Amino acid sequence: MALALTTTFTKSTVKFLEERLLLLTISCGPVRNKSKQNPKPRLRNPTWFTQKHRVSSDDNVTLENKEFLKEVVQDRYFNVDNEISKDLASNVIWRPGLQRTGVMARKIGIYPMWLKTGKKISTTLLQVLDNHVIKYYPPEDYDPQVKRVGRIYNRKGCLLLGAEGADPSTFTREYCGLFKDSGVIPKRHLARFFVSPDAVLPAGTLISALHFQAGNYVDVRGLTIDRGFQGVMKRHGFKGMPASHGVTKTHRRGGNIGGGGEKGRVWPGTKMPGHMGNRYRILRGLKIWRINTKYNVLFVSGQNIPGATNSIVYIYDTKLPARKPAEPLPFPTYIGTGEELSENIFDKEIHEFSEPTIVYSDKN
Amino acid sequence: MMNNINVILARSMVASFPRVATCSKRLTSSLSSEAVRQNHLFDIEQKKQKESVGRIEKIQIEYEGPTDKATLTMNKHISTPFDCAKHLGERIADQSAVALLNNDTLWHMHKPLPDSCKLQFLHYKIPQPTAVNKIFWRSCSFILGAVANAAFKDTVKVQLHSFPSPNVRSGSFVYDVQLDLADWKPTEKELKVLSIEMIKFCQQSHAIEHMNVSTELALDLFRNNTHKYQQIPDIAAHNNGKITLFRAGHHIDISRGPMVTNTNHLGRVTIANVIKLNTDVPGGPIYRFQGVALPKSIMLNHFAFGLLEERARNLNPARIPGSQESFEEDNSFVAQVTA
Repeated sequence: MALALTTTFTKSTVKFLEERLLLLTISCGPVRNKSKQNPKPRLRNPTWFTQKHRVSSDDNVTLENKEFLKEVVQDRYFNVDNEISKDLASNVIWRPGLQRTGVMARKIGIYPMWLKTGKKISTTLLQVLDNHVIKYYPPEDYDPQVKRVGRIYNRKGCLLLGAEGADPSTFTREYCGLFKDSGVIPKRHLARFFVSPDAVLPAGTLISALHFQAGNYVDVRGLTIDRGFQGVMKRHGFKGMPASHGVTKTHRRGGNIGGGGEKGRVWPGTKMPGHMGNRYRILRGLKIWRINTKYNVLFVSGQNIPGATNSIVYIYDTKLPARKPAEPLPFPTYIGTGEELSENIFDKEIHEFSEPTIVYSDKN
Repeated sequence: MMNNINVILARSMVASFPRVATCSKRLTSSLSSEAVRQNHLFDIEQKKQKESVGRIEKIQIEYEGPTDKATLTMNKHISTPFDCAKHLGERIADQSAVALLNNDTLWHMHKPLPDSCKLQFLHYKIPQPTAVNKIFWRSCSFILGAVANAAFKDTVKVQLHSFPSPNVRSGSFVYDVQLDLADWKPTEKELKVLSIEMIKFCQQSHAIEHMNVSTELALDLFRNNTHKYQQIPDIAAHNNGKITLFRAGHHIDISRGPMVTNTNHLGRVTIANVIKLNTDVPGGPIYRFQGVALPKSIMLNHFAFGLLEERARNLNPARIPGSQESFEEDNSFVAQVTA
C-alpha cells in the first residue's frame, strides 16, 4: 500500500473534516436516558434584541393632547388600507417540500366536541392574534444563535412576526425602531418562523387563522407551566413508597440512585428532584377540528397544550410525515378573496349540532 | 454633493464620519481668534461696569414664593435675582428660569437689580407658563447659534445672521445662518450629530450672562460679522442707544429679551432640519436651522416627542431675512404668523 505523502487539502475536504470534528466534540460521555436529557434553559437573546419596556413616568401631557395622541396612533396604524395582501401574487404553487410560516396564538380554553361516530374529543381553543410580518432575513443573512452541526440542506429564511399591537409610548424608542421600516404598530410579542425562501411574505402582511384549514395537522409550541422545585413523584412519575405498613421516613423519595461496580457513581441524567416546568415543549400532530373566522380561533385536538390559559403559543404546520396534508395549503398565506365565509368551518368528521342527532344501530 | 460631505462638521464631531478628524477637548486654545478677541472685550467691559458702580447702596428685595415670603437686603446694581435665589435655596436657584419684578417686568436671572422691588421666580411648571415658554424658546435659538457657529470646519465660512422673535406655536426655534455652501441638504446623521453637539454644549452648564453695552463697543465686538454690524444701529435706536448682549460659554450674541438662567435647563433637544432660504442677502446663501426642545423638568415619551420633531421639520413660517419685507397686513398668512 503506497501512502500518498502529499495530500492536497481542498476547501471541500477541510469543510468535511470540520464537520466530523464538530460531531465528535458535541457527543459527551455515558448519560442515563440521554434521549430524555435537555440542555439547561439558558437565556439566548435574538439578534434584534433591545430593551422593550420603558420606565413610564408621569408625562406632562394635557387630557386633550392625550386624546390627540390616541387619534394619531389610530390614523397612523389602523386607518391605513392594507393593500399589501392584494398585491401578494402567489406565483409559487405549493409543493410538499416547502415550509410556510407559522403563527402566534393565545391559548384561551378547552371545549369538547363530538365526532360523527359519537365519540367525544377535547379541543383547545387557540386564538390567532393579529400577526403582522415585521421583517424577513434571507438564508444567507440569517445568523442563528445555536449553530447546527453538519451541513444544512434547503436553507430556510427567517421571518419575523409580531403579534398584539400596543401603544408605542409604553415601549422604548429602540424597540419601536424595529417596526419603523414595516410601518406596523409596535407589537408586544415577536417571534421567528423559519420559511422556505419561496414562502417569503412582504413586511406588513396580516396573517389570520385562515392560514390553516380544518382537517390539517399542526405542531404547537408553548412554555410549560412553571411548577417550581418539584419532587421526583410529580417530576418523573415515580411510584414512591406505601403510606403506612411500617414504612419509615420514605414515602415520596426517589429510592436507589445507582449501582456499584466499576462505574460506581451517580450517572449524569439520573432522575432527581429539581425545577420543573417553564420550558418550551412542542406537541406534534394535533388536528384542527374547527376554525371560527369571526374571532380567529382554532379548535385543536388535545387538552394538554403546553402553557397556562392566556399564554402565547406558536403554531406550525406539522413535520410528522404521516400527517402531511394531501391538498395544497394556502401558500404563502391565506388571501381574502372578499367572498363571505361562514363563521365556523368544521372538519368533515365533526358532528355539527345543526345536523340530525347521532343514532347508534342495535347491531352487536 | 461630494464637496458638501467634505466640508461638513468640525473636528469635535464623532469619528463615524471618515473625513472628520478625531475628537479633541474644548480648550481655550482651540477657540478661534475671533472668539478669543470677543471674549476678551466682553470681560474687560464686564469688569469696567462692575467697578463703575462706586459706592455700594443697599436695596430691599421682597421675595414672594408659593408658600413663604422673605425680605432680602441686597446690593444695588450688583446683586442679581440669582444671588437672591441662592439665599433662598439650591432648588430655587437651579430651577428658576426667569425672575418677575413687581409682578410685571420679566428680568434675566443674572442681570443686576436696579432698585428695591418685589421679586418672584418663575419656573416651567407654573399655571400660566406662556412668558417662560417664550424665554425658553429664545434661549434655545441663542444656543443653536452657538452650536452652528462651532459646528463647521474651518473651510466653511459661517456668519450668524439673526433669529426671529420666539414663537412656540410655530413648532420650532430658529436661527438664520449664512453658510459658504452652495446647496447643502443635511443628512439624518449630520442632524443627529448637530443635536448631540447642542446637548453636549448645554450639559456643560454655562450660566447665560447678561450685559448692556454701548453701540461702539457692540460694533467693535461684531466687526467681523457684516449682518450683525448692520443690525446694531437699528437695535440701538429701539433700545435707548444700548445693546443687550448675552454670553454662554464663549458664545456672545445680541438679543432683546431675557434668557434662561443656565444652559443646563434644556432637556431633550433635536435639531430637526436645516433649510436653505430664498433671500437676497449678499455674501452667500442663508440657511434656517430649526430645532425643538423641552426643559429638563418636563418629561415626555418618545412617541409624542417624535411628533414634535416631525412638525419641526417643516419650514418655520417666521420672517425671512432680506429685503422681502413687502408684506401687506391683510395677507391672511402673515396675519396668522404674526398673531
